[in-house]
Amino acid sequence: MKKKALSLLLASTMVVSLTACGGGDNETSSNSSSGNSNTASADKSGDTTSSDNTSGETNSGDYVLTDVKIMVNGTVNSVKQETEAQQTTRDAFIPQLEAAVGEAIGHEINIDFEVASHSDYAGYVGRMFVSEQYPDVMIMSADMLKQYETTGLLWDMANAYDNAEFQNRMKLPGINEGLKDAQGHLYGFAPTYGNGCITYIKQAWLDNLGINGDDIKTYDDFYNMLERFSKEDPDGNGVDGDTYGFISAGLIGTEAPWINYVAEFWQGAYPSIIQGEDGVWYDGFQAPEAKEALLRMQKAYQDGVIDPDSFTAGTKDAREKWYGAEQSGSAGVFTYWAGTWYQNLANNLEKNGVDNEVYELAPIKEITDTFGGYLNREAPVWVILDDGDGDDSREQAIFTAILDTMLDGDKVQTLWTYGPEGIAWSTEAEDFALYPDDPDKKKEYSYKDGEFHMRPGLEDPNVLAVKNHLDPALVIAPLTNGFVSSTDLQDVSNKFFTDHCVDAPSAPASETYSERSAEIIDARDVVIAEVVVNGGDVDAAMQKYTSSVGSLVDQILEELNSAQ
Amino acid sequence: MSNNNTTMTSGTVQVRKKPLGLRIWNNRGHYIMFVPVFIFVLILNYWPMLGIRYAFMEYKAGGTPSWTGFTHFERMFSTSAFWSAFGNTLVLSLVKLFLTTFASVIVSVFLNEMGNLFVKKTLQTIIYLPHFMSWAVVASIFTLILSPSSTGMINGMLRDMGILGPNDSSIYFLADSKMWRPIFYMINIWKDTGWGTIIFLATLSGISPELYEAADIDGATRLQKIRYVTMPALANTIITVLILNLAKVMNLFESVFVLYNSAVYDVSDVIGTYIYRQTFMVARPDYGYSTAVGLFRSIVGCILVLICNKASNKVRGRGIV
Repeated sequence: MKKKALSLLLASTMVVSLTACGGGDNETSSNSSSGNSNTASADKSGDTTSSDNTSGETNSGDYVLTDVKIMVNGTVNSVKQETEAQQTTRDAFIPQLEAAVGEAIGHEINIDFEVASHSDYAGYVGRMFVSEQYPDVMIMSADMLKQYETTGLLWDMANAYDNAEFQNRMKLPGINEGLKDAQGHLYGFAPTYGNGCITYIKQAWLDNLGINGDDIKTYDDFYNMLERFSKEDPDGNGVDGDTYGFISAGLIGTEAPWINYVAEFWQGAYPSIIQGEDGVWYDGFQAPEAKEALLRMQKAYQDGVIDPDSFTAGTKDAREKWYGAEQSGSAGVFTYWAGTWYQNLANNLEKNGVDNEVYELAPIKEITDTFGGYLNREAPVWVILDDGDGDDSREQAIFTAILDTMLDGDKVQTLWTYGPEGIAWSTEAEDFALYPDDPDKKKEYSYKDGEFHMRPGLEDPNVLAVKNHLDPALVIAPLTNGFVSSTDLQDVSNKFFTDHCVDAPSAPASETYSERSAEIIDARDVVIAEVVVNGGDVDAAMQKYTSSVGSLVDQILEELNSAQ
Repeated sequence: MSNNNTTMTSGTVQVRKKPLGLRIWNNRGHYIMFVPVFIFVLILNYWPMLGIRYAFMEYKAGGTPSWTGFTHFERMFSTSAFWSAFGNTLVLSLVKLFLTTFASVIVSVFLNEMGNLFVKKTLQTIIYLPHFMSWAVVASIFTLILSPSSTGMINGMLRDMGILGPNDSSIYFLADSKMWRPIFYMINIWKDTGWGTIIFLATLSGISPELYEAADIDGATRLQKIRYVTMPALANTIITVLILNLAKVMNLFESVFVLYNSAVYDVSDVIGTYIYRQTFMVARPDYGYSTAVGLFRSIVGCILVLICNKASNKVRGRGIV
């Protein structure tokens, strides 16, 4: 009898649990079928209804958005939750954001953040979409936007953008105008411009070898400097030849604009499918400039001026080796992101007891003569998922609540820019010191009541808290509350970059490219490895490239050019 | 003599089976307990198999799956990278399997011969430890040790010993097609040999001491005892381990993924890493193609299991499935 009772109990528990799981799935799929996540719900005229029950809502002003689900990658620092410090920041940030957005739109709102893997964001998004789980609003790279804007998944926000509140403070209108397609549709909204990389040189190494950074104007100048860094004793440890000239995270990037970590070597070459000035698409990797670039890198690699670890190094590996405490084995030149990262690199050099003065190298002649400057990548964008019900009121409400307020110039924008108040920043009077126990590095700060300032970071109390998502220097509509935290270095770097940058080439958008670009990238990476790392013959390697993916490239070019 | 269930004829008893419904009713407690397991197996093991249909469809994020027949298979079979990955999967898995099994047997025999229990246990613990390190950590350690830069330990040692001259380039072990596979096998042996010894040591501890005593009386040396007592006792276990692991050779992924790079795709790219790049390194993948490659891998895996079963039947007299 006991056995029967136990078996009945087990079976009924299982059935209940499965029913519960099934119920959840059904709910998700029913919402998903209309293109919404089940987290979005509507409260119309005071009645709370599900997001599916939105028929008849045509006036966006009537739609009351109470819940919104946002999916982001690793660029929104205040919602990460991998460490205790990040969790504390997130726990403070989300309620503050909900309160500030609620105040802006006139009613309460619940905001749910999902943070996807940064390195596999495109893959993660793809998996979410095929399983019909859609957020309401999310970040996409320019490349992803190109692939998804023709699918009907994304909402055309052109009208919402044109009528947004931030338009009267717009500083860089061209960024989003450039994102509109030929018919004027706008499927992704960029709150900032893209940013790019600058070549940084350790000033102490230049000084030790008596090199003036301003004299480095051409590739020959640049290469001579790298050779001296790798053959002489720039770190002053008394040993010649124990350092490298250049380190990078790969000899080619993992995403567009591909060449920005190794700009001086690639120069005017663009190893991807690119649109020429005549509007015709072609394979930049098969162009003569790419071959010359490969030979330049091959020589540099064989001469030992490029740290050989560059081939397999990730960004973190390259950064840490560049600013590490052990400078023997390090490199003098590192090309990395402008703005905040200039400050971060200097901070890390200082933290490791290395001279932290960093020289910003202007684009060499070969770069200015071809592209015109460092490449400003296509800006990442925010997109709103279209629920496909033919009624724009819900999407408009999401735009108003999340994207319009993101650039409100005041409270919400401050949160998206600096993170949570009281944790990352404050306007209350306070005194603190970074490196309080190290007399050589100690920096004291004193602020009066009402004075905006960043606070010591929770992760590392010896550096100021990291910003959240928007870079105040890159944003298209600035803060109006006077909250400015940029250090001199960031300002200098941002200005330097904007003075020396040009927009990166547009990513291609074709059915075959979106599906099979990995094959082309594989073949291209094999050629780079074969020529640069293994010292192989460039013509033979290129022949292998064309025989393996030449027809696929031709097919993509035909699609792109016939769509013109 | 007869009743409802049995009939006695010429000294034999014939058992008449009860109707199925009655048998189920009589064992209803067991069947009710089995229901949850049955539902779980259906949902977790069989329901996902319906996804196989996507191998014959175009299946992209944001699009409706559409029937494409054998298009994905045609693309797969006409792609040289796929065949390279398929060949590498078999070679890397099989060589790794034989090497790690061989190393495990040798180490087990040595440990078994060890008289000092403390030293034996300490050594066992030391060689088990690498198994518990994640592949990501193992790859980081070996990438540092084998680095071609001036901070690489092995290249530094080669220079100190004069094997590499001051003007010679460092050896990029992990980016050299000739070096990559030996390095890969070596790392696998280092990581998995210890764990592999467990089953062999268990077998060795079960060998009757009388066999060794008899060998002693016959004047056998230590090597002869290993040759004529230990190894024959281990043979059946070695074959079983090999057969069981042979069924898993198509599953190679993580150990390769963390150690390979584009310079050695020709010798290192396996089906798992090939699927990964085709799926996750493009902005909007066609999951239909990935499913097709995955299905092919499963079919090959299934064939290997059947071959193993046949081999097991021959060697051990009983199958593994």
